[in-house]
Amino acid sequence: MASILTVDDSASMRQMIAMTLKGAGHDVQEACDGAEALKIAKANKFNLVVTDINMPNMDGIELTKELRSLPDYKFIPILTLTTESSADKKTEGKAAGATGWIVKPFNPEQLLATVTKVLG
Amino acid sequence: MPQANTSSIFSKGNPPKALKGFGHINRYLDRTRNKYSAKILPGEYYVTMEDEYIATVLGSCVSACIRDKVVGIGGMNHFMLPKSAEEKGGKAAMLSEAARYGSYAMEHMINDILKNGGKRENLEVKITGGGRIIANMTNIGQQNIAFVREYIKTEGLLLLGEDVGDIYPRKVLYHPKTGKVNIKKLRSMHNDTVQAREKEYLATLDQKPVIGDVELF
Repeated sequence: MASILTVDDSASMRQMIAMTLKGAGHDVQEACDGAEALKIAKANKFNLVVTDINMPNMDGIELTKELRSLPDYKFIPILTLTTESSADKKTEGKAAGATGWIVKPFNPEQLLATVTKVLG
Repeated sequence: MPQANTSSIFSKGNPPKALKGFGHINRYLDRTRNKYSAKILPGEYYVTMEDEYIATVLGSCVSACIRDKVVGIGGMNHFMLPKSAEEKGGKAAMLSEAARYGSYAMEHMINDILKNGGKRENLEVKITGGGRIIANMTNIGQQNIAFVREYIKTEGLLLLGEDVGDIYPRKVLYHPKTGKVNIKKLRSMHNDTVQAREKEYLATLDQKPVIGDVELF
């Protein structure tokens, strides 16, 4: 069981992701944008972050960069889960420090398999 | 209905500049209104910040017309859920392929509105469609309506109005600049194009479920 932070500005998407991860026994906390996620991340120590890209206040790319600058989040996996599928955005995400890129709509089994893989 | 705009851009026959990613959508000059109109088909959506219309014809599909009333950007989608919407029960229904596809169809358009300057707190929504256009067929229109209502509620969006259900296809014209939606119920159809397009769309969704790629860096 891992402690996972899921970040998305869409409430229905947060519900679906949290339900999928909790169903597999993970402990999940939710944030509605990058700024809130950063605050929650600093007050906790998560094993994995799953973040959307397009969000108000702080987007997923910026959040990834900010997390990578923190000692607790330098090496933990950060997965992006987004409607963005362009090569440019993926390159930007990779440069920011993302571990992987999942394009929506997601498949619950596929998400869980990816989570298991990156958690090692 | 706003007055026709007769600025030179229209007399030259050029549609307003499309936002990035929408250049492929077919647009035509609506001579009655003297404005351009983007015509969307099942599975498509269009977002604009220009003074133009978005048009479609709905059978059992639904359209959400969403705009930021402050910034003046908005869009309309046209979709239906894959058949697994028939799954019943809390967890299964919420994580069904249908719900995931529907959320994707809504989020994709909302993201394009937000990316181009819209703000979530300013969004207002009108919904239409979901007709039971084929008698004795499973009422997929109602499932589409139920999904989109639930989505709007979960997301905390402002639902300004709806014209849904019934047994007729609808011709819909949305003007994001003003938020006005013109709906014409088609009581008689000259052909079965609407049904045929929706059947083809549904078959595509069922045969080849839309699932995004996964890439590990």
